[in-house]
Parts: sequence; structure tokens; C-alpha cells
Amino acid sequence: MSDLDQHLPRIAAGDPEAFGRWVAGCELRLRASLSSFAARVDIEAVVQETLLRIWQIAPRIEPDGRPDCALRVAVRIARNLAVSELRRVGHAPIAEPIALEAPQEPDPLLRGIIATCRDKLPQQPAAALTERLLHGGVLPDRDLAAHLGMQLNTFLQNITRARKLLAECLERHGIHWESP
Amino acid sequence: MTDRDALVEQVAAAWRPRTSDGEVRAHPAWHDLDDADREEAYRVALRMRRLEAALDPEGLSTTARAVLARIRGVGSSTP
Repeated sequence: MSDLDQHLPRIAAGDPEAFGRWVAGCELRLRASLSSFAARVDIEAVVQETLLRIWQIAPRIEPDGRPDCALRVAVRIARNLAVSELRRVGHAPIAEPIALEAPQEPDPLLRGIIATCRDKLPQQPAAALTERLLHGGVLPDRDLAAHLGMQLNTFLQNITRARKLLAECLERHGIHWESP
Repeated sequence: MTDRDALVEQVAAAWRPRTSDGEVRAHPAWHDLDDADREEAYRVALRMRRLEAALDPEGLSTTARAVLARIRGVGSSTP
């Protein structure tokens, strides 16, 4: 199992590609560690703010000899951000031990099946999904819908349909995608 | 699609507005959801990010792409 801290020196030197590899390896574990806050805090905003802060403080992160030091720092930052947000809106903090999921290695077979299922999507859901994949983190859905000449609600319906059709296709391949 | 479904789908996307000093803020639609719908949006987002990463040649989700765009000085905060 690879240690994500292998990317730290290059991240600290300001290499966005190395940071991207680190994010690709840790994002889902970071997000999953925040599940208990989901009803009270917008987890997507916390995850993005945490990743930006890790980029800023990377030169000051000192590996402690245990794997994934930077990810553990990220989890602490994320929880502090979530607790701060809870306090800001007057909610009591959530006291829960930090539990990190086991890392998952990329599965080329799974990626291939997902790509095959994507290729089978009808035109409109495929177009909506592609728009999200290309620009979804940078532009709001209203803009993505406008790019495709769709109403916002139609665009969102197509995203939902794409996800459901992909899940059904994966199910036929024995992959239970909709499970948490 | 119900109004509730549309809000959940928007919140499950990776786009987020920013403050004038660059801090990432909650999606405007997130405030219109109740607790159960926020948890549903979280679960949908978890699935979507896995899916996006699996479909991306570099294994990057749209969240990762959003953050990388920020650190490269690209992107929009249009609400």
C-alpha cells in the first residue's frame, strides 16, 4: 500500500500535479471522515477549504513516521472547520472519535466497467454528465445547463438519470454502486 | 423532478461560491434543505465523486478539479 506522503516534498515545492495525485488518493477518505456532520455542515465546502489549506501549509507539514501524515492533518483541519461552522450557527459540537477508512487502491477493472456503462448512456444524460465532469467544480449547474441549451431542471433530471442508469448498468456487472 | 430532488442534485455537485477573500462557502441550495435531505445530498456527492474519479484519466473528481483550478488561479465564483 502506497503512502500518500510520498507526494509531500513536491507539493511543498509548489507542484500542482503532485498535489492532484495526493488529492486523488485521499479525497474520499477525507470526505467519509466527515459523515457525522452532514446534516449540519456543507461537507463539500469543508472538503474544498481543507484541501486549499493543505496546499498552503504543505511546506510546514513534518511527517511523523506513520503513514499518511498529511491526510491526518487534513482530517483534523476539516473537523475543526466543521466544528467552527457548527458553533457559528449555534449548534453544539459533535464529539466523535476520528475514524479513517482503509485506503482503496485504484481498480482498473472497475474503471473499465464504469467507462463501458458511461458509453451506453442515452445522449442527453451523457451530455449532462460530461458537462459536470468537465466543468462541474468550477461552474454552477445553471451555467452548465445553459452551455447545453437546457433548462436547469432538465439538466438536473439528466444528471439524476445518468447516475441511475450507470448504477443499473454496474449492478448488471455485479457492482453495487448505490451502496454507501 | 421535485423541488427537493433538484436542490439535492445541485448540492451534490462540487461547485461552491466563494467569499470576497476566497473562502469556500456552502452551496446556496444547501440552506433550503432539511437535515435528512442534507444527508442524502452528502451520500449522493460521495457516490458522484467516486464515479467522477473513476471516469477521470488522472483519477480526479470534480472536487479535486475545482481545488486545482483555484490553486492555478483559474475558475469562477459566480453564484
